Amino acid sequence: MSTDVVSSKITKKDITKVWFIYYMGVELSNSYERLQSLIFCASMIPVLKKLYTTKEALSEALTRHLNFFNTEGVAGTIIHGITIAMEEQKANEDNLSETAITGIKTGLMGPMAGIGDAVIWGAIMPLLIALFLPLAMNGNAMGGILPLVTYTGITLAISYVLCHRGYSLGKESILGLLQDGRIKELINGASILGLFMMGALSASYVKITTPFKLSILEGQPIVLQEILDSIVPGLLPMLAVFGIYIYLKKKGPRYNIILTAIIVISILSSLTGIL
Amino acid sequence: MGSLTVAICMGLYYWFARLRFGYTFSSMLLQPVCVAIVVGLLLGDMSKAMMIGAGIQLVYLGVTSTPGGNVPSDPALASCIAIPIAVKTGMDPSLAIALAVPFGVIGVFVDQLRRTINAAWVHMADKYAENGNTSGIYCCAFLYPALAGFIIRFPIVFATTYYGDTVVNKFLALMPTWLTHSFEIMGGFLPALGFAITILVIGKKQLIPFFILGFFAVKFLNISVMAAAVFGTCIALLYRGNSSKDGGAEA
Repeated sequence: MSTDVVSSKITKKDITKVWFIYYMGVELSNSYERLQSLIFCASMIPVLKKLYTTKEALSEALTRHLNFFNTEGVAGTIIHGITIAMEEQKANEDNLSETAITGIKTGLMGPMAGIGDAVIWGAIMPLLIALFLPLAMNGNAMGGILPLVTYTGITLAISYVLCHRGYSLGKESILGLLQDGRIKELINGASILGLFMMGALSASYVKITTPFKLSILEGQPIVLQEILDSIVPGLLPMLAVFGIYIYLKKKGPRYNIILTAIIVISILSSLTGIL
Repeated sequence: MGSLTVAICMGLYYWFARLRFGYTFSSMLLQPVCVAIVVGLLLGDMSKAMMIGAGIQLVYLGVTSTPGGNVPSDPALASCIAIPIAVKTGMDPSLAIALAVPFGVIGVFVDQLRRTINAAWVHMADKYAENGNTSGIYCCAFLYPALAGFIIRFPIVFATTYYGDTVVNKFLALMPTWLTHSFEIMGGFLPALGFAITILVIGKKQLIPFFILGFFAVKFLNISVMAAAVFGTCIALLYRGNSSKDGGAEA
């Protein structure tokens, strides 16, 4: 039908527009029903309007992208790049089915969310806050400004590059890339750094000590904390972190139960003088 | 600045930060260290505000990761309410943490309400898509959730900040020492939840020894956060090189 359209209609600027709209509103319209479907559709508008000039075709494309969608908003922008490439192919050659586009989207959103949650939110964000926290503790506003600027800058750069790469790589190579050992290595490296930092920060900021003393006769009283420290320093904080970890691992994300438990334990141990 | 202005500004800030306008930018605005900057400017005591913000930040340091977008705890509501009151009443940071934590829990329910209401805009967008009305879809994705968010979020912080400090002052005068001490314990205990959640999100059981390594590097060798970041990066690189030689046994 439209074989005379050979050159690509989508420019670099269009892709940047998609990336930017998505970045601004990833979580803004998030709902329990279809999560990020609304922002995915809204972010695709600049591209879809250019590709589909008739009202029927545009409406069909918009409806297609209101399907369920949810991923991590930084690593996930690669999906937008791929989707733009696929939409372009569909509009120009009309040899691509709707289910192929939706299939790629739903197939990639899980793995990309896994990478993004571990690297962007699990490692980079707490790392940047913790790095500048000593400034905040000394009453310096830079302790808030620096994490805000660096985190925003780093994540904007990553998501921008991934969105454009997704478009240029296309769907075949992206599936190959996910199987590639280098991606696994990258995730592994980031996870190691994240866990190491979490350990270091736990050691500094989880503070649980016991003032408990047992005086049997007149002599030196037995100080519980000294005994614990002689076994290994930081035993109680370590037990607290792993106790909560094991509970969450077994029972799922029941944060409110743990919050309540911490409040109850704190009050009881204060009353009895154990902690 | 007058308490009315402060209460209005804090209410607006909470609404704007929780709007999530700008994905990672807004997530940093939600953090206590950033809320503290605003409080410091409003109350003219940056140093005190930052110190209290840093104290509350410790509780929420590990809660940055929110698997599936579910908020395990809302640091923004906690700090938008607790930091102004703590600075005004000259509260101890550990007490400010105790004041913050309950509001962090309330914030979870506020967010659940928001995501329930947001479903309405998706249905509206379905109709706009049928008619090819793209500006209607933009409104559903940005304008309507923003307006609804204002109605849900602004009043909580405004009312608590405006009427809160007199109530808190009276309460503090009456508070027995065992209760004060239990808040101190809570402040030392709560960060453990955040770190546990992050281990869970990173989610690789076989890598947990690296957590223990980081923990005892600080406990035995007393290294700083920056030093830990340097050593941690080197260990990650070394380990990576090792595992690729073994043919990536670490799947």
